[in-house]
Amino acid sequence: MSKVVIDHLARVEGHGGITVELEGDTVGSVQFDVFEGARLLEPLVRGKRYDEVAPVLSRICSICSAAHTLTSLKATENAFGVRVSPQTDLLRELMFRGESIESHALHLFLLAAPDYLNYPSAIALSADKPAVVMLGLRLKKLGNMIQETIGGRAVHPVNAVPGGFGRAPAIEQLIELRSALMQGVADSDAAMDVMASLPPAEFCHYDTVYAALRTPSLDSYYAGDEVMVVSDGSRAIVHATDYKTLSNERAVPHSHAKHSAFRDKPFMVGALARLTVNPRRVTGKLAVAKKRLKLQLPADNPMDNNKAQALELINDVERALEIIEQLLRAGVKDEPPVPIQPRAATGTAITEAPRGLLIHSYTYDAGGRITAADVITPTAFNAASMELHFRKAVEQSAERDDATLSRKLQMIARAYDPCISCSVHLLRRK
Amino acid sequence: MKPVLVIGLGNPLMGDEGVGCHVAERLSADPRLPDRVEVMSGGTDLLRHADRMERASRVIVIDAIADKAEPGTVTVFGDAPAVLENRQEDAHTLSAVQAIQLLRMTLAAPITLLGISITRAGFGPGLSPRLAARMPAIVDRVLGELR
Repeated sequence: MSKVVIDHLARVEGHGGITVELEGDTVGSVQFDVFEGARLLEPLVRGKRYDEVAPVLSRICSICSAAHTLTSLKATENAFGVRVSPQTDLLRELMFRGESIESHALHLFLLAAPDYLNYPSAIALSADKPAVVMLGLRLKKLGNMIQETIGGRAVHPVNAVPGGFGRAPAIEQLIELRSALMQGVADSDAAMDVMASLPPAEFCHYDTVYAALRTPSLDSYYAGDEVMVVSDGSRAIVHATDYKTLSNERAVPHSHAKHSAFRDKPFMVGALARLTVNPRRVTGKLAVAKKRLKLQLPADNPMDNNKAQALELINDVERALEIIEQLLRAGVKDEPPVPIQPRAATGTAITEAPRGLLIHSYTYDAGGRITAADVITPTAFNAASMELHFRKAVEQSAERDDATLSRKLQMIARAYDPCISCSVHLLRRK
Repeated sequence: MKPVLVIGLGNPLMGDEGVGCHVAERLSADPRLPDRVEVMSGGTDLLRHADRMERASRVIVIDAIADKAEPGTVTVFGDAPAVLENRQEDAHTLSAVQAIQLLRMTLAAPITLLGISITRAGFGPGLSPRLAARMPAIVDRVLGELR
């Protein structure tokens, strides 16, 4: 028996590794170890008051701090039956767009592009193709700017509070954002040129089950309380209150993250799942981009998640511009947050973080203090599907040497844009 | 005059890995902090703060470092942190070393990296007692760098 081990996908030693066992031509066990700290967070928030929860849980991830903050607020508001104003809904959607632009730009141009082009890192890529790296940095900055303008600061937004926002953005700030987004339109077009120039990555093909937020407008990362699962042409709906049927999690010995399955099948969440669940979003420029990148929906290649993120990048910039126009037309009101009246209740929120479905579910006592909390991150949902795709890639690979398999599996792992390392950031000495 | 910017990196939910954030917190409350110094806790993604860094005359980045030194040892890496790993395996974001290299393409301000030695990162709030005991000395050392 031989073994292929790829460690250090994360900076926490022993986590984020992939181990594949081969017995001759037969693929034995395939394991992906995810360090998924979010599962261990409950003790940190138990006993906390409703307005103290989001600031703690936003710390789960620096890249997804806006999604964690806003999903946390939505869960709390759902528990207390609070309806926020239409302006708050728009501002929150705008923050999600900013986060998505930033996250996708970082992922596509500073992490995935070097893989496709056979460079060891973004630094190495920047020596030969500085325009690609600079494009990524510019789009990332645009995403930051949106989040900082609305959320109050770039990481761990403080301006978003239960019931609304501490203060609304000034008209001048929105006008400044609009000009930055106009440049962003050109950059997202350039991003498409880069994506179209990347070599194909055909490492595995397999029928995949997809799950994403079903949104009332077909195009929201934030609004909606139902998940749609698409499998073999059939569609099923799971309401937020039944989220455990989606995450009917199976503990596996090699991973902190429990494995999720829907009707016993692993499923994929993220950009590709969002486009599959809401295909009517793909119109206009997106439809042209889809054709140019030769993206078929539903896709049978997990690497297509990168193409889907590129489509979303275009859409996010367009949608952010629309929201700003809408806010400027209506005039931004300085409205106080909706008052909260705590009660003993459970609230569950589902949203779409940049890398997929995110669930926060809290139970409060009558005084508005947390008695139970559950956070399920996109990477936890994806863990079982990643293992399945790793297995298929090894089975379908004619070459089984370590270097080939390592490259393929690492690129598949990266396409999932996993968050195994999101909560840590550690330097190592050579 | 442009300020000196100190950015403490790390996740305070990940034990000693969050030491950069803890140092930033202590530093901002320290009366010895010179007037022209701004301190911020930067999470785990340094690139996010490119804007703030553009407005600074000098940038000091504080991050945890896994090495064999006594926990709490502060190492100044200056302009060329060549002894640090520059790997791309991290699936989700760039390491501080990579981010600093990229930022040098666009930033005029010099960037100094201060590595604080830790032995392990693991889930949980707060620092290990061993590292917590070293905090006053670490803060003194960082203040020394700012004088």
